Amino acid sequence: MATISERVEIARLSHRFGFGPRPGEFASALKMGVSGYRSQTLTVPQIDIGASAIKEPEITDLGKRPAPNTPEVIPFAQAMRFQSQQLLLWWLDRMALSDHGLTERMTWFWHGHWATSIGKINYAMPMYLQNKTLRTHSLGNFKEMARAMINDGALQYWLDGNNSTIKAPNENLSRELMELFILGVNRYSEDDVKALARALTGYQVTNSSGTLTFNIKRHDANPITLLGTTAAFDGQSASDFLVVREDCATFIAERLWYRFVSSTEPLPNNSSIKSAFADRNIASAVKAMASDGAMSDAKNEMVRAPVEWFISLCRALNITPSKLSTPAQLISYLDKLSQTPFSPPNVGGWPADEAWLSSASAQYRIAFGKWILKQGDLSPITTLPQSSRIAKTADWLGVAEWSPRTQGALRNAVGDPEEFVLLAICSPEYLVSA
Amino acid sequence: MDTISRRKFLKLTGGAIAAGAAAPLLSITEIAEAAINRPLALGTPIVVVVTLYGGNDGLNTVIPYKDPIYYSSRPDISYAANTMLPIGEDLALNPGMAGMKTLWDQKKVAIVRGVGYPNPDHSHFSSMAIWQSGSPVSHVSTGWLGRYIDSQPEDPMLAISLGSVLPPLLAGAKRSGSALPLGGLVVPTGNLAIDCQKLSKVSNRDSKLMAAAATSMRNLFSVSTQVAPVLKLPAPAAVDLPTVNGGNAGGDSNLSQQLDVVAKLIAAGSPTKVWSVSLGGFDTHADEANAQAELLGVVSKSIYKFMSQMKSTNRASDVTIMVYSEFGRRVKGNASQGTDHGTSGPVFLIGEKVKGGFYGDQPSLTKLVDGDLAVTTDFRDIYGTVLESILKTPAEKILGNWSGRTNFLLDK
Repeated sequence: MATISERVEIARLSHRFGFGPRPGEFASALKMGVSGYRSQTLTVPQIDIGASAIKEPEITDLGKRPAPNTPEVIPFAQAMRFQSQQLLLWWLDRMALSDHGLTERMTWFWHGHWATSIGKINYAMPMYLQNKTLRTHSLGNFKEMARAMINDGALQYWLDGNNSTIKAPNENLSRELMELFILGVNRYSEDDVKALARALTGYQVTNSSGTLTFNIKRHDANPITLLGTTAAFDGQSASDFLVVREDCATFIAERLWYRFVSSTEPLPNNSSIKSAFADRNIASAVKAMASDGAMSDAKNEMVRAPVEWFISLCRALNITPSKLSTPAQLISYLDKLSQTPFSPPNVGGWPADEAWLSSASAQYRIAFGKWILKQGDLSPITTLPQSSRIAKTADWLGVAEWSPRTQGALRNAVGDPEEFVLLAICSPEYLVSA
Repeated sequence: MDTISRRKFLKLTGGAIAAGAAAPLLSITEIAEAAINRPLALGTPIVVVVTLYGGNDGLNTVIPYKDPIYYSSRPDISYAANTMLPIGEDLALNPGMAGMKTLWDQKKVAIVRGVGYPNPDHSHFSSMAIWQSGSPVSHVSTGWLGRYIDSQPEDPMLAISLGSVLPPLLAGAKRSGSALPLGGLVVPTGNLAIDCQKLSKVSNRDSKLMAAAATSMRNLFSVSTQVAPVLKLPAPAAVDLPTVNGGNAGGDSNLSQQLDVVAKLIAAGSPTKVWSVSLGGFDTHADEANAQAELLGVVSKSIYKFMSQMKSTNRASDVTIMVYSEFGRRVKGNASQGTDHGTSGPVFLIGEKVKGGFYGDQPSLTKLVDGDLAVTTDFRDIYGTVLESILKTPAEKILGNWSGRTNFLLDK
């Protein structure tokens, strides 16, 4: 029998470094033991059969928006909506159906990090390309990732790089690059923001395709003084310059810690995550984090964000998100819970922990859960005698343990499988990765 | 007159109470009873906080329209002088703010100029965190009104935010405000209601976040039982606005819907002293002039309508509105017909109890600090007055040892 602390650690590995267990996976992880399961979680397989079976979405360059009140506007608007929906369903399917969870989990993390919203981009194509870039680099080298993101059409457009010229540099991208993407707040001065904005001038984006071009005439090639170094920078050299700074290692370690370990406890000094990131290798930092003693420390609990909660349900109930009836209803539920992939609320990404625990979200979660359960496979418990359902459901869903309070509520509903599972997935023990 | 009576309340909540009545661990009746027995006493002050997300350009809100430097600093973004709404001292309101101008003329608007905090932070997140936590110096995770909630007896109705995500503003260390989405809350009924209440009971085995998860579900039952029937009522009539096609000619927007719900609940006597509503979209790095006039038009119209609705209740003189944003914007325009992140901006306080007029000095366009407007008033001065003189609570526990105050209220 696994101890409670082993159950906690395996549940955390499953829910934080993936999107939760499929039926039977938690029980076999318990047999494997913590270290065996950890290395399985961290080892990305050569081929992921589940993920590779998902068809790429049909996303094309839709070109310029036709003039208002022309007959072309309606099919154009329909195509825009259709492509955005295909894009969203495609990614949700990848999260739910991948055999190995870490790559999608890291792509999800980086989407929240380089948070770009289709709300401003409008077109699906640039968002699709950005998502592929994030996935390619999700466990790669951060220097390469930062370079790729400087050249990402969606990010440039999102932060007004498209309009930033030598005559009047726009500071939006410059500031967020240092504050939110590479160094962290207050690790630079206002003068650095102004200087970097000049070095980042000259990019132009075709928004329908996400194509980025560089217009030398709009670029300020004069030397700037950035964080004490005077030189002529362009986007790539500025990005490289920021990434090698020690503050970058501190910041990325802090962000990983915030999303995977604890949003309230600070990153400890001399954290193993930071030292593992010395050469900017993301996979090494993630491995160090998963192996850190903090992963078994009881105080490092986290609330599961709505998308994480939804995807873990899909995995437990054998649901393909794009096949839910109807996709529009699914998107509406995600909206009500205030978390829809490709639509972060702002460039800082989504909030954490208590922000997801309002009375309003409690209501929507119950309604959403009810709707999902009608379309899911409940056989992992309906095939069991009522007497063993409560304990077996903890294993099915990857919950370390139920409190006596929750056991009491579950016992009341043990003869009604839909309500029983609804209570389980809305319980404090399931909402919180304890 | 629009205060919901005990009888009316019981009648309206009948369904929900009956459903819960079978529950052995029922607390719903008790909670409903408590709400009925303690509607907010008439005359109890109410604060409505309006947060403008994104950094509202203060210089294009309260505009130094006679200053040539204003026009030369931002030729693509400035408005034509004849469209602006002069309010004295060589200042004018944004062309979109006709409703606010009317309230100003009625002496119901205090404009505090140049509001900010020391060493302004140009990041949305840091600056909003500073405004909402009320702590420019050290980082704290509670909101200034969250600490007020902590200082009061537990009551999920005390402070309510419209929308499904709770702003940090209302997060306390022990307790937080409740979130109320537009359209209100729908609670489970029947067996599910009984089981959900069982599921959300306090458990001594709960960690901090699990306890918060349980509380959020408990609050769903208590808040919704009180709120749901009220939301079905028609909104209070806006007495000053003409009615067109059965609705008020005030336009419609998410902010106006939020304030509509607040108006209904205030009219019904909800025991709520603090309301939080918000509008986003103020991060006008590009193509600012039209966008901002539209957004400020929404703010101005929604508030004008809300104030008008309050007149048809008996609580018009109890309500004070405060409007703020995380920072103003850079004086000089950028190449995208927009402005980048700046520092200080005006704060608006609106209500019958407000002594209309200007407070704080208008930051000078010739004495910029690194291209930004100077901060002439600390926001804690305003918070201090809101806490002490409106919410009648000692400011010291909430703001620490901060002695500044902005006396924007009429003498009583």
